[in-house]
Amino acid sequence: MDFEFTDDQLSLRDAVARWVDKGFGFERRHNIAKQGGRTRDVYGELAELGLTGIAVSDAHGGMAFGPIEAMVVMEELGRGLVNAPFAAGALVAPTVLAQAPSALQSSWLPRIASGEALVVLAHQERAARYRIAHVDTTAKRSGSGWQLSGHKSVVPAADEADAFIVPARTGGAADDAQGIGLFLVEKGAGGAKVQGYATQDGARAGELKLADTPATPIAEDGHALLEKALDVGIAAACAEGVGLMDRYVALTVEYMNTRKQFGTTLSTFQALRHRIADVKMQLELGRSMSYFASLKLGESAPARRRALSQAKVQLGNSMRYVGQQCTQLHGGIGVTDEYVGSHYFKRLTMLEVTFGDTMHHLGEVSARMTDSTGVFA
Amino acid sequence: MDLNFTAEELAFRQEVRQWVADNLPKDISHKVHHALRLSRDDMQRWAKILGKKGWLASGWPKQFGGPGWSAVQKHLFEEECARAGSPRVVPFGPVMVAPVIMSFGSPEQQKRFLPGIASGEVWWSQGYSEPGAGSDLASLKTRAERRGDKYIVNGQKTWTTLGQYGEWIFCLVRTSSDGKPQTGISFLLIDMKSPGITVRPIIMLDGEHEVNEVFFDNVEVPAENLIGEENKGWTYAKHLLAHERTNIADVNRAKREIERLKRIARAEGVYDDARFRDQIALLEVDIVALEMLVLRVLSAEKSGKQSLDIAGLLKIKGSEIQQRYTELMMLAAGPFTLPYVREAMEAGWQGDWFARFGDCAPLAGNYFNFRKTTIYGGSNEVQRNIVAQTVLG
Repeated sequence: MDFEFTDDQLSLRDAVARWVDKGFGFERRHNIAKQGGRTRDVYGELAELGLTGIAVSDAHGGMAFGPIEAMVVMEELGRGLVNAPFAAGALVAPTVLAQAPSALQSSWLPRIASGEALVVLAHQERAARYRIAHVDTTAKRSGSGWQLSGHKSVVPAADEADAFIVPARTGGAADDAQGIGLFLVEKGAGGAKVQGYATQDGARAGELKLADTPATPIAEDGHALLEKALDVGIAAACAEGVGLMDRYVALTVEYMNTRKQFGTTLSTFQALRHRIADVKMQLELGRSMSYFASLKLGESAPARRRALSQAKVQLGNSMRYVGQQCTQLHGGIGVTDEYVGSHYFKRLTMLEVTFGDTMHHLGEVSARMTDSTGVFA
Repeated sequence: MDLNFTAEELAFRQEVRQWVADNLPKDISHKVHHALRLSRDDMQRWAKILGKKGWLASGWPKQFGGPGWSAVQKHLFEEECARAGSPRVVPFGPVMVAPVIMSFGSPEQQKRFLPGIASGEVWWSQGYSEPGAGSDLASLKTRAERRGDKYIVNGQKTWTTLGQYGEWIFCLVRTSSDGKPQTGISFLLIDMKSPGITVRPIIMLDGEHEVNEVFFDNVEVPAENLIGEENKGWTYAKHLLAHERTNIADVNRAKREIERLKRIARAEGVYDDARFRDQIALLEVDIVALEMLVLRVLSAEKSGKQSLDIAGLLKIKGSEIQQRYTELMMLAAGPFTLPYVREAMEAGWQGDWFARFGDCAPLAGNYFNFRKTTIYGGSNEVQRNIVAQTVLG
């Protein structure tokens, strides 16, 4: 039992933090957001740091780091409010592709590791809400290959991606866990249309429409792998949330110690002091559960799913409380576009509804409840 | 980063688990698992069993007769005790006064007092709070005047937990009115059999006698019972509070009690009610998060690299969780917690018509009783002040 970071992990953290300090100030971020949230060049800079290879195996040119390294990077990207699709491209996609047929691995993983290719998971459907098994997109055999038809929503960085990982139904009914295949669809494939848009939190997403679009199978029975990929995404969201909260709390503390009203700094008012104590509580509970999420990623599916849902419940509540209260503690400036704080708030808000919101995961924790409770239960 | 305990730590856990299974009397664990009333004899019997093994002084270093365990071992020990249904160790002797005697007492005081604490023979009480000094403890007024080789003590202490059984009491007393309130306080050990001491029960809202008022009327205390120097008692008491760290969260007991909550919810037919079950699920998340927080503190202590100054958070969250599980247990049983039958809190009670209410008897009382947890040990509002101080500077 040990929650210390290794020297290598600390250097990794430093490297990301230094890049943020030097190259990713609020002005740049703000301009990107105002111009629609396109971040492929930012993603390229992260690739230059070698970060896009952290979850790719050595054999494919990556660094084969584990979940804790991913967590460290995500925390720092959160702290820096970095709006590039790093979790989608460098953590979630390699998780899926590592299980793909070897030809597919060799053609994509090295390019993912180098940052040359951006591959994103396109799983969300309008009617599915957070039900992973709800897949209306269909896959049918066509000669020796497959063709997909359907509509995937809010796909991260959709019009900047080179390829999509698409869950599609090869059999079974709409909510069956069986009969869900995972496929790779390349940008510009026949019948594929992408409609990009800016997101509330200054990034970019889009709609992916497929009509008899040729696709390469990754896994024919892909439900379990999809769950694993989403859990990687949840752990990344938790870690990013911790970085965001950490920084937003620091900004708020700074503000409380300088802003004066009634002739004295805000930090002297007990009502506000108690509020920041409650904020600190939510931050530390959130940090604890983010560690928990990353540390449990390697467990077998039932324990992993339960743990990740527990973590997402805590982070959902923490991110909402910290986001709302830090905004409140700033007063009027907190609700303006010019102040960086509101952008932390918006990102924290959108992370809660990514990969299942708090109520959804509370339902999961309920459904997976056993007699025993605890970190090792 | 690694969530798992080492092989040595797991072997240690196994050793403790086996020993507790072999030595914890079943009649006592039955009461704990069903939240029935514990007698003085129940508590002291278990304390002496632990004392004989050398484990009552679980947090002590070897030089004073403790096992010299690491923070992790101590955590595992407490976890195993809680899991098996042992009563909480009454902390006033081994956890609270002993570290002060070790750090600031004379060798004579150490020789005289520590063995009786470690063995569980001597029951200690705490004399801190006063009618006019609750959260603002430094405003305490109980006076100790030096006369020759004695102190003469006059005043009143209150909220003295289990003071009706106390043989000795450690007190913060005022020895000077000069300067700041904190600077005129001394730390005195007082024999509760001394003439002039009166203990009066305070019956709490659950109808139980758990706390007391202690009156001091010209009580003579030998000067040799003063710990350290006169007027430095506040410093010593703060040292004592620093010893109260992870165990204040009591997460191990919470893990046991949420199991009881699930049993009660099943028996009462609300376990499969989605609205009720979600509340248990939320509590489960809270408990896992608190346990992670506790483990982080232990890890920081173990590495010595960083200190995690979040004792205030542990107290706040731990007490809120304790209140929540007693609340949910009561809500699970609903109207069947209404009957107030004092005898039903005794083990083996077989009231005819009441028996069909099963485990409901203690639930409302426990809920009422546990409102204390956010008040005592520095109210949660005082804890928030402390947390804010560390955050805002």
